[in-house]
Amino acid sequence: MARVTLENIRKSFGDVEVIRDVSLDIERGEFMVFVGPSGCGKSTMLRLISGLEDVSGGTIRIGGRDVTGVAPSKRRLAMVFQSYALFPHLDVAGNIGFGLSLARTPAGEIERRVKDVAERLGIADLLSRMPRQLSGGERQRVAIGRAIIRDPEVFLFDEPLSNLDAALRVRMRLEIARLHKALDGVTMIYVTHDQTEAMTLADRIAVINRGRIEQVGTPMELYHHPANTFVAGFIGAPAMNFLDGNVDESGAVSFAGVTIMPAQPFSHRGRATIGIRPESLRLAGAGEADLVARLDHVEPLGAETLLHFDTPLTVRVNDAVPAVEGDTLGLVIDRTRIHVFPP
Amino acid sequence: MRSMADRRTLHVTPWTAALITILVMLAVLFLTPTVGVLLSSIKTTRDIALGDLWSIPGELFLGNYAEVLSNPAVHRYFVNTLIVTVPATAASTALGVLAGYVFAKLPFRGAGILFLAIVAGMFFPPQVILVPLFRLFNGVGLIDTLWPIFLVHTALGIPICTLLMRNFFATVPDALREAAILEGASEWQVLTRVAIPLGLPALAVLATLQFTWIWNDFLWPLIFTQSDEKRTIMIGIVNLKGQYTVAWGVQGALSLIASLPTLVIFLFFQRYFIKGMTMGAVKG
Repeated sequence: MARVTLENIRKSFGDVEVIRDVSLDIERGEFMVFVGPSGCGKSTMLRLISGLEDVSGGTIRIGGRDVTGVAPSKRRLAMVFQSYALFPHLDVAGNIGFGLSLARTPAGEIERRVKDVAERLGIADLLSRMPRQLSGGERQRVAIGRAIIRDPEVFLFDEPLSNLDAALRVRMRLEIARLHKALDGVTMIYVTHDQTEAMTLADRIAVINRGRIEQVGTPMELYHHPANTFVAGFIGAPAMNFLDGNVDESGAVSFAGVTIMPAQPFSHRGRATIGIRPESLRLAGAGEADLVARLDHVEPLGAETLLHFDTPLTVRVNDAVPAVEGDTLGLVIDRTRIHVFPP
Repeated sequence: MRSMADRRTLHVTPWTAALITILVMLAVLFLTPTVGVLLSSIKTTRDIALGDLWSIPGELFLGNYAEVLSNPAVHRYFVNTLIVTVPATAASTALGVLAGYVFAKLPFRGAGILFLAIVAGMFFPPQVILVPLFRLFNGVGLIDTLWPIFLVHTALGIPICTLLMRNFFATVPDALREAAILEGASEWQVLTRVAIPLGLPALAVLATLQFTWIWNDFLWPLIFTQSDEKRTIMIGIVNLKGQYTVAWGVQGALSLIASLPTLVIFLFFQRYFIKGMTMGAVKG
């Protein structure tokens, strides 16, 4: 229910600057995902917003209120930790109701609200269990329960799914998406290094690298219009193909011995990195090949097949491929999906 | 599993045999004096005077126990010892918890050096500080009161308590503290609602060690008290001897009675104690 605004946030640990002048507006009710490689500063950003770390410079506003120097508990936010951080000595009910009991809420009301939250999360029958008796998914739900019971305005998630196995991760991802819809108007900030999580959950994604935001946008904006090679390489799996190339005066793009005219003209001229997503390439029919490459390796994934060529290029195709490793195949490039990144 | 267990019981290696022999010998070695004291305590003075410490008395004589338990001086020894032991145990443990928490969770500049300085306090031999402490307490008029015993035991307990609690709190994940803080807990509430409940095994170990150590102490009460009114139980046992004779039976009875409180404390905390001793060995 609150907008979160970061203005020129800086954070240093000693001489090491981990967050460099970050400004960002997160809308009320928005699901914002911070994504980036490990050590990029995304978790630090979350800790700065939560107040667990103090900023070295800049201003944080939540709901228009300057909370830069405000204690974490007064920021009206809740956080779900990567390790869940459940209190091992308290049962599920004690964990969910911990904040309420600190606030000296009457026992009857705590019990009622804990039950209510547990029913919403499908853990009502676990209330008297201890955390060590719970599975990973159940612990995750308890941690979420502890977060939502206090009606926070902002939810912070610090890599909440990274300790779960792959199947459970997909299921919990869906549940978090549903939770966001159910908690109408609650702002969520979610940190992950997993670009699939980012793409599927986010209203908007902030791609962070070395303490800076490289690009902010909707998942599709980042996917189709990445601002630079870092974003282009980070968003999308398998990663975008990058090739050294050139844009000549006429606007024609040449790389790997091919010259083609892109559907939309680029303003950049001269040397550039050319980016082509694996699905923007397809196997050529007779006489239509843009380029010819030798097949190095085939990865059949069931619904799709990844072909790795020596160029090097990775191509994603939907059908089974009759070719075998070592064959030379013709490829066609989708001219509407070429990316040019100035050096 | 069953066959493995069977094999284990069937094959007694020389190593396990040696180990069992050594353990049995140690147990006998430690229990023998206690058995001797127990035998003396249920014999009449005449039986004891006749010699043969290890003989089983013809009849069970409980007169020594009756004499000890009805002696007002013994009551006073017990009360004095309790007055020193309980507060000193509580104070040193509490201070150790506070200091340990700060060193483990709230680092500050110079914390490492200060921690080392505190822990170094463990390595002072009492002989070194005995005379200065006597002069100090004499100077402030506290000799022949229970105060110096309480103060010295509290102070001497701080290093070991701080060390143990710091090491325990260091194993409590930081995320738990942060989660509690985000839930609205103050640092004090993090300590009392999260860290201490999790640290109960360590606390039980500490309380047991401190209680036993202070209860059984002979040196400091001997130095700091003079009158019989201020003596603690361990000095009391010695005081029970007559001027020309040694009342072995009475002393034996009091020795056994005096060791009961530490035994009760140990039994009370036992399950925590064992958990505490293995703590840190396995990530729990």
